[in-house]
Amino acid sequence: MILTSSNTLENKEVIEYMGLVTGEALIGSNIYKDLFSGVRDVVGGRTTRYEEEIQKARDISLNSMIEKAENLGANAIIGLKISYDNLGGTMGNTILVTAYGTAIKFE
Amino acid sequence: MDSKDKELDKKEKRKAILCVSFGTAVGLVVYGIFLYFKIAIFGWNLGLIFAPLAAGYAETILADRLIGQNVGAISAFILFIDTTFYSFILKNPTLGFNLITAGSIFVILQAAFPTLINYIILVVIGGIIANFINTLKKYWRQIRSALRKQQYVKWDGPTVEIDIDSIVKFNEDESNERLNNLDFYFITSTDMVNKTYNIVGLYQAEIILEKDTSLIELEPEKAEIKQLYNLKKEKDNCLIQLAKTIKSNGGNGVLNLSINYNLVGLKGDNIQITAKGMGINIE
Repeated sequence: MILTSSNTLENKEVIEYMGLVTGEALIGSNIYKDLFSGVRDVVGGRTTRYEEEIQKARDISLNSMIEKAENLGANAIIGLKISYDNLGGTMGNTILVTAYGTAIKFE
Repeated sequence: MDSKDKELDKKEKRKAILCVSFGTAVGLVVYGIFLYFKIAIFGWNLGLIFAPLAAGYAETILADRLIGQNVGAISAFILFIDTTFYSFILKNPTLGFNLITAGSIFVILQAAFPTLINYIILVVIGGIIANFINTLKKYWRQIRSALRKQQYVKWDGPTVEIDIDSIVKFNEDESNERLNNLDFYFITSTDMVNKTYNIVGLYQAEIILEKDTSLIELEPEKAEIKQLYNLKKEKDNCLIQLAKTIKSNGGNGVLNLSINYNLVGLKGDNIQITAKGMGINIE
């Protein structure tokens, strides 16, 4: 599966637009508790524990999206967008990671 | 390291020593002024705090100009040792360890070793405080639970367990099919190659989702699963709403589709899901 944020694939011909594919993952508030044990990372200027959680969430959303594209019979996703939104407030600190794009079939 | 680099390194070291010496001199002058004018509280000279601070400050300013970086406020530490030795041992051996002394030692150490002291504040002290608060909370919950048991009569009837998992299970395949069987093109890229289309206009659809806080206290992790379920469901509804609007205006697709999630409401209690893009009519 080829993933690209551009409109087309270089030297490839788009045969069919298969549809929209999305993937979402939520980083729960519990990781903030875990983060406290890793405060040492903050002192060093980076929160590696936090980075790992974000990467994990991004992988989940991307894999979910890819799985859907495969089910549609696509072999690439173009116009890929990934966004990170904080859904804090009374819910606590939760971050929504979303990935979406257009599934296509190319030759 | 070649001879040229060694020469440069020596020059840097000389400059650093000069900065430390200058800072120490400034600190000693400041301490002398405080001693001369007897600026003290309860017999405790304030120069013990201000002299190391002045030394560190002067050293940092000079080092910044000469070397372009901090040399670690070494003069502040030298002043700390000098002034403590002079005040506590030579001049006033009766003055013991008290709150002001502890405070001044802390301030001076902070200036001399900022990373170490910040680490101690954040990790050690922060950890102790957090553990202490957690222990208090735990005991408070136990006390509250014990009091509640005394207030209410025990229910002996059948209990009904709510299967939250079955409620919040989101069918991804069903969602995918629902979105892609609308006879409508959702395109996230800004163009469709090999297709001819007319632009219908800019369209947007919004949905406000109220946060479900009923499960947060009981099952925070399940509350998050449920929230994700609601977000996915309402995102689908938002996209369907956008497709319907464009269709009613003669379009059959959307280009440069974007989906956004924002917190709205007085305390950020609601989530606004927005789907927008350029409505098109594909021939």
